[in-house]
Amino acid sequence: MATVVIMPRQGQSVESCIITTWQKKKGDRVEVGDILFSYETDKSAFDEPAQTAGTILEVLAAEGDVIPCLDPVCIIGEVGEDISALLPKSAEAAPEAKAEEAKAEEAPKAEAAATVSESSGERVFISPRARHLALETGVDMTKVVSTGPHGRIIERDINKALDAGFTATTEAVEAFLAGHPIVVEEEKPAAAEAPAEKAAPAAVDDLRAYTEEPMSNIRKVIAKSMHASLSEMAQLTLNSSFDATALMAYRAKLKEAGEALGIGKVTVNDMVLYAVSRVLPNYPEINANLIDNTFRKYKHANVGMAVDTDRGLLVPVLFGAEKMTLAALAAETKVLAGKAREGKLTPDEMANGSFTVSNLGSMGVESFTPVINPPQTAILGVCCTVNRVKADGTVYPAMGLSLTFDHRAVDGAPAAKFLKELCTALENFDLLLAK
Amino acid sequence: MPKSQYVDPGKVFQPGYIDFESIPLCTYNLTLDEEKKLYSKADFLRIYHDMRTIREFETMLNEIKVKSEYNGVKYNNPGPAHLSIGQEASAVGQAYCMDINDFQFGSHRSHGEILAKGLSSINKLTDEELYDIMKEFLGGTILKVVEGRQAHPGDVKDLAKDFLLYGALAEIFARTTGFNKGLGGSMHAFFIPFGIFPNNAIVGGAAPIALGAALYKRANHKKGIVVANSGDGALGRGPVLESLNFASMDQITKLWGMDGKYSDEGMPILFNVFNNFYGMGGQTMGETMGFTNPARLAAGFNPTQMHAEKVNGYNPLAVIDATKRKKELLLNGQGPAFLEVATYRVSGHSPSDSSTYRTPEEIEAWKAADPIPAYRNKMIEGGVASAEEYAAIDEEIVARTTKIIKLAIDDEISPRMDLSKEPEMISSIMYSNQHVKSMDETREPEVLIPKEEDPRVKQIAGKARYAFDEKGEMIPKMKLYNIRDGLFEAIIDKFYEDPTTIAYGEDNRDWGGAFAVYRGLTEALPYHRFFNAPISESAIVGSAVGYAVAGGRAIVELMYADFIGCAGDEIFNQLSKWQAMSAGILKMPVVLRVSVGSKYGAQHSQDWTALCSHIPGLKVCFPATPYDAKGLMNQALNGTDPVVFFESQRIYDKGEEFHEGGVPEGYYEVNIGEPDVKREGKDVTILSIGAVLYRALDAAKKLEADYGISAEVIDARSLVPFDYSKVIESVKKTGKIVIVGDAVDRCSMMRDMASNIAEMAFDYLDAPPAVFGSRNWITPAFELEKYYFPQPTGIIDVIHEKLMPIPGYTPTYNETELEHMDRAKKGV
Repeated sequence: MATVVIMPRQGQSVESCIITTWQKKKGDRVEVGDILFSYETDKSAFDEPAQTAGTILEVLAAEGDVIPCLDPVCIIGEVGEDISALLPKSAEAAPEAKAEEAKAEEAPKAEAAATVSESSGERVFISPRARHLALETGVDMTKVVSTGPHGRIIERDINKALDAGFTATTEAVEAFLAGHPIVVEEEKPAAAEAPAEKAAPAAVDDLRAYTEEPMSNIRKVIAKSMHASLSEMAQLTLNSSFDATALMAYRAKLKEAGEALGIGKVTVNDMVLYAVSRVLPNYPEINANLIDNTFRKYKHANVGMAVDTDRGLLVPVLFGAEKMTLAALAAETKVLAGKAREGKLTPDEMANGSFTVSNLGSMGVESFTPVINPPQTAILGVCCTVNRVKADGTVYPAMGLSLTFDHRAVDGAPAAKFLKELCTALENFDLLLAK
Repeated sequence: MPKSQYVDPGKVFQPGYIDFESIPLCTYNLTLDEEKKLYSKADFLRIYHDMRTIREFETMLNEIKVKSEYNGVKYNNPGPAHLSIGQEASAVGQAYCMDINDFQFGSHRSHGEILAKGLSSINKLTDEELYDIMKEFLGGTILKVVEGRQAHPGDVKDLAKDFLLYGALAEIFARTTGFNKGLGGSMHAFFIPFGIFPNNAIVGGAAPIALGAALYKRANHKKGIVVANSGDGALGRGPVLESLNFASMDQITKLWGMDGKYSDEGMPILFNVFNNFYGMGGQTMGETMGFTNPARLAAGFNPTQMHAEKVNGYNPLAVIDATKRKKELLLNGQGPAFLEVATYRVSGHSPSDSSTYRTPEEIEAWKAADPIPAYRNKMIEGGVASAEEYAAIDEEIVARTTKIIKLAIDDEISPRMDLSKEPEMISSIMYSNQHVKSMDETREPEVLIPKEEDPRVKQIAGKARYAFDEKGEMIPKMKLYNIRDGLFEAIIDKFYEDPTTIAYGEDNRDWGGAFAVYRGLTEALPYHRFFNAPISESAIVGSAVGYAVAGGRAIVELMYADFIGCAGDEIFNQLSKWQAMSAGILKMPVVLRVSVGSKYGAQHSQDWTALCSHIPGLKVCFPATPYDAKGLMNQALNGTDPVVFFESQRIYDKGEEFHEGGVPEGYYEVNIGEPDVKREGKDVTILSIGAVLYRALDAAKKLEADYGISAEVIDARSLVPFDYSKVIESVKKTGKIVIVGDAVDRCSMMRDMASNIAEMAFDYLDAPPAVFGSRNWITPAFELEKYYFPQPTGIIDVIHEKLMPIPGYTPTYNETELEHMDRAKKGV
């Protein structure tokens, strides 16, 4: 019995994904765990392993295709098996790559050659006015709920989504309107047709040589988000530092005896995250999102951790961090960081953060102005430790903290108070563990 | 006043008989010797010359039609050629008696009539007058073609004959050098400086127009008579019969004099029927009519029997004799008159006529009686002139005709309108768009009392010109200046400004119009400026066309818009078309007031704005407020274009609720074609046509109060022309529009506007433009009208179903697309 492999659903808000690479082709033998194909959402990349062994009898999507989640992608079974019942209705309208393949390997089906591939998604019913507004604003079409006659999307529907802060990219809107509910349209031609690196004419003057690389999708998302953050918020940064003696001492103890007690590796950053998770609940405006004049005050400390990856900055969230023990928290950060680096985070794992911690201390940065991750109201930058001298002449390690907050949401005094309380907590880390 | 004419039951039932005088039939019996005392040799020869010119002209057209060649000149003419070969003596005899200020209106078989009247006028005008006319007409365009090419250089009359023949032929061949730049064509050629007025492709169409021209002469004390030519077939047409009756109505001689104050002369019009026995192929005597002689029909119209008489149309001298006598009667104030000129058309109705309706023997018999050789032979035998003299005339005519056709088919000399180079050429003459306060500034208007003393004017002076008092309370209706008053004010002002202004329709005088708009005019105006017309919608509208063509300004009224059909040809083919068909030579300052009813069922409650808007050449207004009614009426009355002015009976008593400061007492204009925002809003636009404005405003109020939806309401005010800018501007703001009106939905102006808006503002639309008109039914009784005419609830239903579903709203009516598809499928 053949098995239909479907496009997995990666998170609630994801409606479709783009197939980036096929690792196997029609006719290949696969074992369980063999990677069939790689695919992406606009934020993450994934590999799909085979769940059953067998031969790939049919490939239903080509590289670059945007496939709605849960739609069939390929069929695995035994050679000679009849899979006609499993072929989707739209199999006739298969993508070009597949059609070419079919031509090469088997007698073409009468109907297969007759029709041209159309968009794989459903037709979107939207008024011309709403369409214009969507393209102009780059609204996140997946968040738009239609209320027009016969389910048509009308202007007020776009406005409602915009009011709730749901924005994406113009490309995303275009792709959605073209019938692809989710979008990475730009990457399809860029990846498939344009060479990744285009050498400029080099013969005359090598010193002026450069390469052109299209901006990746994640980069675009980051760019838009960061620009929106700086242009739409009233951000300012407070810098402070704390005496890290107790923190370092505690960390030294963990290094020595932690393993024996079954406690995994705990980083300084984990300890800062831990402290943040304990202090945050005292500051509801900081543990919050600000969306169109409405505060979304979180009941838990959903602390985002900025992770640097090859694909760009990703911020997975430690949900309910205030309830985690230090050990559990440290274990979770490792899992999330790993996933981030491998591009395996789901959008759900990156949404609904209430606060973010970004650490550049390991790079020796002494002070910086982190940029708030919208729609959050603040972000904490963790800096390196420097030795400072006290009035009595003793030297101590001082770790810098840079708190950027949205002055629209929070005033300077409470922000400073939060930072002070955080410093106190970190200076008395061992006492904090009691919380 | 008719009150003075007591309808006495004692007399009404008195026994007795109506006596008819005998109708003379071909009683002309002068001998040539007697005729020689009346006519000079030159007169005799001129009569021959004119008949022969027409014969040659039409022979040429016939040969071009059937052989594509005349006298060696090859040409193909795809246009019509309704010839009258055989009828030349009738035309020439009539024209012989007519002076320059006698107007001639022709039939669709009128080449002969035009040429005869033209040649007659050339004979009667001085050389200086002739040359001035030719030089001034269309900037001398036609003169430039014929001047320098005449057979007798220096002979202005010879040049004028070339001018006449060329102008007519170039018109028939659709050349820009024709009398009407080729826009009139064969059946509509005319030349006013020679007294030749528009002919008509509609059988009988010219009768009411000629009546109007006679009315113009009668009401403005102008010299001369009007001759309305038609064929015998036209006597089956209602407009012709209406015109015979209208011209004969008693009041002209019994009431218009107003006890010696004004003229009590009859209508100066001669209805002249060229009886050629066939209306195309239908034989009027013996087949399609019962009168045997048209003269019998006419004799019944009034006690003078219209002086009806039959004359031998194959003898030009008999025709002259009869026409002269009729003309004298008219000039003596004894009009109208009727003349039956018996004649025969040996040519077919058109070149494709194979004469299936008559025998070759019949045609041969009439050819044998051909009036032209008969006349010539009689003259030669009687010693009037020699055969050689006649031959010389023939030779000259053939040479002239050959010369003229060569000029008329030369594309260099006689080009056609170049619509690729000047694409807006015809657009530019559809309307004259002039502002003329008075059509005759040399005279003072005839009125009975100073305007200030008019009882209505005095009554209005005490009324509130704005609907609300200082506290914002609505002023009671009786004290409120309303739409009626706005219309009245504009109209009475014009009566006291333009002496040619005239108004008539059914129940206008005494009654003051069925809806009291004219109350107060009876006291102010003499009969000949303001009177009751017979129930003859064709004659009412058609005569207004003729009145305007002759140089006056007319306001005519149809009591209900439902009667537009009764005046269909006059509105759709005459009123609308003559400005453009004349290439802009004619002006049409006519306001046709039509009232839109309600409560009165299927034939008295229809909004027919769409019918009038569909026809090119008309302007169409439908105001809904006193300010707009007066302002639009002022502009309509000050203009030179035909305006169909719709008024709703539902809102005649509405005060001015929008224009702050109220309706100005002085003169102002509202531009025809400019819609007006009556209520500002931001969520949805309601464009209303006519009286539905107030229901649209009610809907807007409810939308605001109950659902927080802000509706903008725009009053179309006019339908043709229509400036969409304000509407598009509004749609750009709201993204949604519903167009409402009382006309039935199908093919309405609402549909037209919806389609235009969809095209003009597609990218801004949040939903397709919706239309909410009346159902495609008959209008039911008043009690059921809410199921038929748009109501505020229905307007909100449509907005809910088609534009923006309103949360929590339950529609009352079924206005879904599915329902509409089903209705369309059923044709309802």
